[in-house]
Amino acid sequence: MPSKRNRKEQMLAAAQYPLDWLEERSGLIGGLRYFLFRKVPGDSGWWHTLGSATLTAFLVQLGTGVILAMYYKPDPNSAYESVQHINNDVTLGWLVRGMHRWGASVFIILIFFHMARVFLFGAYKYPRELNWIVGVLLLPLALLEGFSGYLLPYDQTAYWATVVGININGTAPFLGPFLASFLRSGSEIGADTLSRFYSLHMLLLPGAILGLIGLHLYLVVRLGVSSPPWSSEAAGRDREQAPAVPGSGLVNPAPRGVTKRPD
Amino acid sequence: MPSRRLEERRIAFQRYKEDVKRDGKPFYPYAMFHDTVMSLVVVCVIVGLAFVWHYTSLLGPSLAAKADPGTTSFVPRPDWYFYFLFYLLRIFKWPNSVILGTVGIPTILLILLLAIPFIDMRRERRLLRRPIAIVAAVLVALSMGVLTYKGATAKEALGAELLADVPNWVKAEKLPAQAVPGAKLFATSGCLNCHTYLGAGGSQLGAPDLSAEGSKNKGITFQIQHLKCPSCVNKGSPMPSFAAFGDANLRKLAIFLEASKGPK
Repeated sequence: MPSKRNRKEQMLAAAQYPLDWLEERSGLIGGLRYFLFRKVPGDSGWWHTLGSATLTAFLVQLGTGVILAMYYKPDPNSAYESVQHINNDVTLGWLVRGMHRWGASVFIILIFFHMARVFLFGAYKYPRELNWIVGVLLLPLALLEGFSGYLLPYDQTAYWATVVGININGTAPFLGPFLASFLRSGSEIGADTLSRFYSLHMLLLPGAILGLIGLHLYLVVRLGVSSPPWSSEAAGRDREQAPAVPGSGLVNPAPRGVTKRPD
Repeated sequence: MPSRRLEERRIAFQRYKEDVKRDGKPFYPYAMFHDTVMSLVVVCVIVGLAFVWHYTSLLGPSLAAKADPGTTSFVPRPDWYFYFLFYLLRIFKWPNSVILGTVGIPTILLILLLAIPFIDMRRERRLLRRPIAIVAAVLVALSMGVLTYKGATAKEALGAELLADVPNWVKAEKLPAQAVPGAKLFATSGCLNCHTYLGAGGSQLGAPDLSAEGSKNKGITFQIQHLKCPSCVNKGSPMPSFAAFGDANLRKLAIFLEASKGPK
């Protein structure tokens, strides 16, 4: 008969086994452990949550978007009715559509807030220039998501805003006319336009955004986040040369941040 | 050999890594706690907005009428986060500078944004020692805020009110009788959502004032062609096609436009 203690160890080993199996074959557990337990500057706080908040808003868009795609029909004859159906008949359809509609606004606002935070912290500076660029590229992609999604309910606002929006794209020099006729997929907005916008909205753009977010996060983990610039304990701050105390023969050591150990 | 500045910033980043390793706190649970709370707030705000949209009219209707390409009155309005771009087109007008508003300024802003890390290469991060950055940030935030507000509160012309203006137009422009049906059509067809006429109308999307359109003497045929396919005649015009009106109505509009020689 195994003792109680033995049994507990066996249970733990059994729980550990699949993790070890995965780790041995992929290194994923080690990667996750690195991600979770990597050190961040001790003075990072609420200001640093805007990026993950933006990611959350995007994940809400992904989740609600998948559900909406189950009911939406990208065809001029049934798009409007399918949105009405989502609003009126589908259980909590109004909630999912409302979250998608307003989640878009929240997503865009948070992108701007996050960008403002990074700008004001000077967090785009060496060695994080590339991550700033990736972030800036995400902004027009998010705006394009907004533009392409706006047509999909196929109501009057959607239709006419898109007519003018496409025409505005057409004013661009050289590429404009091609861009406009590509977006319109013809000379008039119609069935092909709607399915083209739908495809861009739910395949190409989200795919590109996901890819860039992946790169963005990789660079965040690799380079770390900047301390607030006003912090007296900012990681990587310049250490001033401490003045030598006359006569003592001793030199004050450079001041160091108070080490706070979490445990 | 790397320059002194390059060397300095490498050393500073090395020092950053050492500081974080020595004095930092682990992402889990410390930073992750903040992130989780903030993410919950975000989800609650989104759900809250969905509820407000569904149960009140504060955030506008959940659907407008079904799209109708043949309709005559519409207000082309983008989602609110495009208002700042949308309002730019009231400042830069067709035909001379509209490209600045539609493509020029957004492209320049995007390139500037991309270039920021290469414009500002100093290591200094404290705001008070980055006066240009402060001024730029304040200017951008202010102008985007003002443009968004202006775009949101931009007045929209209503067909019924504009129809009441037609007799005044006839008087001010000395319109002949055969131009009146066109004037009525013009007032009720959404033209004034973008164009202005004797002070009435929207001045949207860079559309020009039409009070003296007839003084250019472009001719009825030109006006009809232009209404059918604006960008065919004026390359790059953002105006939508009004071909769905039918030839008879377009002719009325053209007569009215040609008769509008400006207030006398």
